[in-house]
Amino acid sequence: MPLVSALCASHAPNILLEPGREWDDFMDLHYSMAPSGTARRPTFEQQKKLRQDAEAAFAALRADLEQAKPDVLIVVANDQFVNFFWNNIPTFFVTTADEVKGQFTRHKFHYKNHKELGKAIVRAGMERGIDFSYGEHIELQHTQTVPLYFLLPKPTIPILPVYVNTWVDPAPSPRRCYQVGELIRAAADQSSERVAILATGGLSHFPGSPHIGEIDESFDHQLLDVMRQGKGKSLVDYSVQDLLQAGDTEFLNWMVVVGAIGDAKATYTGYMPDFVATGWGFVSWKLV
Amino acid sequence: MSCYDLSRLLFDLKMNESTYQRSLSDFEAVMADYDLSAEEKDALRSGDPRKLRQLGVHGMLCLYIKRLSPQFRDNIYWAQK
Repeated sequence: MPLVSALCASHAPNILLEPGREWDDFMDLHYSMAPSGTARRPTFEQQKKLRQDAEAAFAALRADLEQAKPDVLIVVANDQFVNFFWNNIPTFFVTTADEVKGQFTRHKFHYKNHKELGKAIVRAGMERGIDFSYGEHIELQHTQTVPLYFLLPKPTIPILPVYVNTWVDPAPSPRRCYQVGELIRAAADQSSERVAILATGGLSHFPGSPHIGEIDESFDHQLLDVMRQGKGKSLVDYSVQDLLQAGDTEFLNWMVVVGAIGDAKATYTGYMPDFVATGWGFVSWKLV
Repeated sequence: MSCYDLSRLLFDLKMNESTYQRSLSDFEAVMADYDLSAEEKDALRSGDPRKLRQLGVHGMLCLYIKRLSPQFRDNIYWAQK
């Protein structure tokens, strides 16, 4: 079947941290890299408002996802030193485990993994010149669990974590990520099941950098405009450096979804800078 | 120049509980388990993530040194991955 739903959402940890002490912890740690940085520390009330706005955006995405009645949710995200280190950094990795687990603060996650679809994607890649890494054990982290907390809080369907290296240099080009999305779309077309896809991360942020707290809202809005216009393919001409300068390297995850949906126009976009680190972005494409 | 061992120590500080506990009691002994230059050891002892970043360590790994700082030991960051 063709893809039935496509989503993109930020995975910033503070979306799921509690306003107050947990947000303060988050800011204290990140700003140890830039003590005199440009942080505009939001008040407790502003933190609660941001959480409410994020919940509303996630609710819109979840409604679209549930309306599409998917049998599986592919989750395209980046590892951040939980599963992969410099002894082996896969550029693209497909999970072929039976199940996947993870924990974020007090929240525990446990899903079946759709390894059959995973292997189908790996095999399709080998036939078309994209050689994925793959493996039977991964641990979920905030890059997956923060959006899943809101979008798939109960493990009613299996997921399929797919990793893109957006985290360490060198990273794949936006064009290559788009091609991976096209390949996943082709594999979904061959499946008898209803396949949904979610990319996580972004938008603009500079974690672990003296630029922490800077958010390139203008660049983020350009990206969202392009997706609303259904012209995502034009983004393949960006370089990794273009994305890096805007703090948007995790948009490489999103580029996989952009490649999967082709010229479909986004039917929902939401955006809110958190004043701390990240431009929170949310996109949905209704495909059926 | 590679800073693999320096990065690995920082990774282990967050991901390996025994490395973290040993580091609290004898950080010098833990550092001795890794192939570190004198400059790298000094940066680690300083506890300043900005000095580690200057040595080429990934910015997020640099922040892991804060786990040894008393005021950051209970930070929520260590309970999230």
